[in-house]
Amino acid sequence: MASTGMHSPIEQFKIKPIFELSAGGYDISFTNSSLFMLLAMVVGGAFLASAMSKREMVPGRLQCAAEMMYEFVADLVKSNVGSEGRAYFPFIFTLFVFLLFGNLLGMVPYSYTFTSQIIVTFAMAAFVFVGVTIVGLVKHGLHFFTLFVPAGAPKPLIPFLIVIEVISYFVRPVSLSVRLFANMLAGHTMLKVFAGLAVMISGAGGIAMTGSLLPFAAIIGLTGLEFLVAALQAYVFTILTCMYLNDALHLH
Amino acid sequence: MSTIETEAGKIEAGKTAAAVFTASLVVGIGGIAHAAGDAEPGLPQLKVETWPSQLFWLAVIFAIGYVFMSRVVTPRIGTVLEERRSRLDDDLARAREASTEAATTRAEYEASLEEARAQAAEFARNASAEALANAEASAARAAKRMATKVGKAEDKLAEDRAEAESNLASVASEAAIAAAAQVAGVKATKAQADKAVKASAATLAGQEAG
Repeated sequence: MASTGMHSPIEQFKIKPIFELSAGGYDISFTNSSLFMLLAMVVGGAFLASAMSKREMVPGRLQCAAEMMYEFVADLVKSNVGSEGRAYFPFIFTLFVFLLFGNLLGMVPYSYTFTSQIIVTFAMAAFVFVGVTIVGLVKHGLHFFTLFVPAGAPKPLIPFLIVIEVISYFVRPVSLSVRLFANMLAGHTMLKVFAGLAVMISGAGGIAMTGSLLPFAAIIGLTGLEFLVAALQAYVFTILTCMYLNDALHLH
Repeated sequence: MSTIETEAGKIEAGKTAAAVFTASLVVGIGGIAHAAGDAEPGLPQLKVETWPSQLFWLAVIFAIGYVFMSRVVTPRIGTVLEERRSRLDDDLARAREASTEAATTRAEYEASLEEARAQAAEFARNASAEALANAEASAARAAKRMATKVGKAEDKLAEDRAEAESNLASVASEAAIAAAAQVAGVKATKAQADKAVKASAATLAGQEAG
C-alpha cells in the first residue's frame, strides 16, 4: 500500500505539535489535539454567548437553539439529580458543550477529534469520579460507604454484593472514559478504512472503478451514523455524570 | 444503580464491546501498516509522551471554559428564561384575574335580572290578589243586596199568608155558623164558631204533628 501513498487509518489520531513548549521536564506543546479542545470550547462558548446577546423575550432561531441546549442539560440535571444538582449545573453544562462540540468538530474533514484520545476522556472521567466521591464524602461522611450495600439484599449475600458494588464503583471512570474513546476511535477509523478502500479500488482503473461506489455508499451511511454517535456519546457521558452525582448525593 | 442506568449500561456495554473490537482490529491494521513501513507502531493514543501536553491543555481550556460558562453563558440564558417565565406567569395571572372579574360581573348581572324578575312576579301576584279581593267584595255586596230583597219578599209573603190564614178562619167560622143553623137549626154565636174552628184547627194540627 505504501506505493499508493495511502495513510494508515490510525494516522488521523497522531498528535502533531503546533508550537513546542515544555515545563518541568514535561513536553506540554500546543498540539492539534489542544487546538481542537480550544476550538470546541471557543466555538461552543461563542455560539452560546452570541446567540444570547440580544436576550430577546421572543427568541430567534439561534437563541432558541442556545436555550434548547441549556434546557436540555437543565432537565437532565433536574430529573437525574434533583434540585441539589443546581450547584453542579454549570460544570455539567460545560462538560456537555465541550464534548458535543468536540465530537461534532471532529466530523469536519481534516479536523482532529480530541475525544478519541483515551488520556483526555480518562482525565475527564477520573475528574468526575474523584469529584463525585468527594461530594459524597463531604455530604454524608462515613455514611457514604452505605452506597456499597444494596438495599434489601439478603444478609448472607451482602459481603459478595459489597465486593461487586465496590468493583463496579471503581470501574466507573474506566467504563465512562473507554466508552467515549472507543466509540470515537472506532467510528473515525471505520470512516478512514472505507475511504481508503474506495480510493484503493478506484486506483484499479477501468470498469473496476465502479466497485468503489460500494465503500463510498458505506461512508455516506457511516457519516450519518457518526454524527448520531457524536451527539449521543456527549449525552451519555453527561447523563452518566449526572447519575453518579445523584448516587453520591442521595446514596440510592 | 438505577434501572435506567442498568439499561443504558447494557446497551452501552454492547456498543463498547463492538468499539473495543474495532479498536483492536485497528491496532492490528496499524501493525500491518507498520510492517508495510507506513506508520509508527501502535495507536498514537498510547504514546505516553503526548499525555502531559494533552492533560495540561485539557485542564487549562476546560477551566477557562468552565469559568466562561458559569459566569457568562449560563446566567445569561438563565435570566432570559426566568424573565420569560415570570412574564408568562404575570400575563396568565392577569388573564385569570380578568376572567374572574368577568364572571363576577356576569353573576351580578344575573342576580339583578333575577331580582327584577321576582319583583315583577310579586307585582303581578299583588295585582291579581287585589283584583280578586275587589271582585269578592262586590260579589258579597251584591249577594247582601239580594239577600235583603229576598228577606223583604219573604216577609211580605209571610204577611200575606198570615192574612190569608186569618181570612180563612173567619170564612170558616161563618161557614160553621151557617152550617150549624141549617143542619142543626142551632143559632151559634160568632165567638162559639171561632172557638170551634180554633179547636178543630188545633186537633188537625195535633193529628198532623202526631
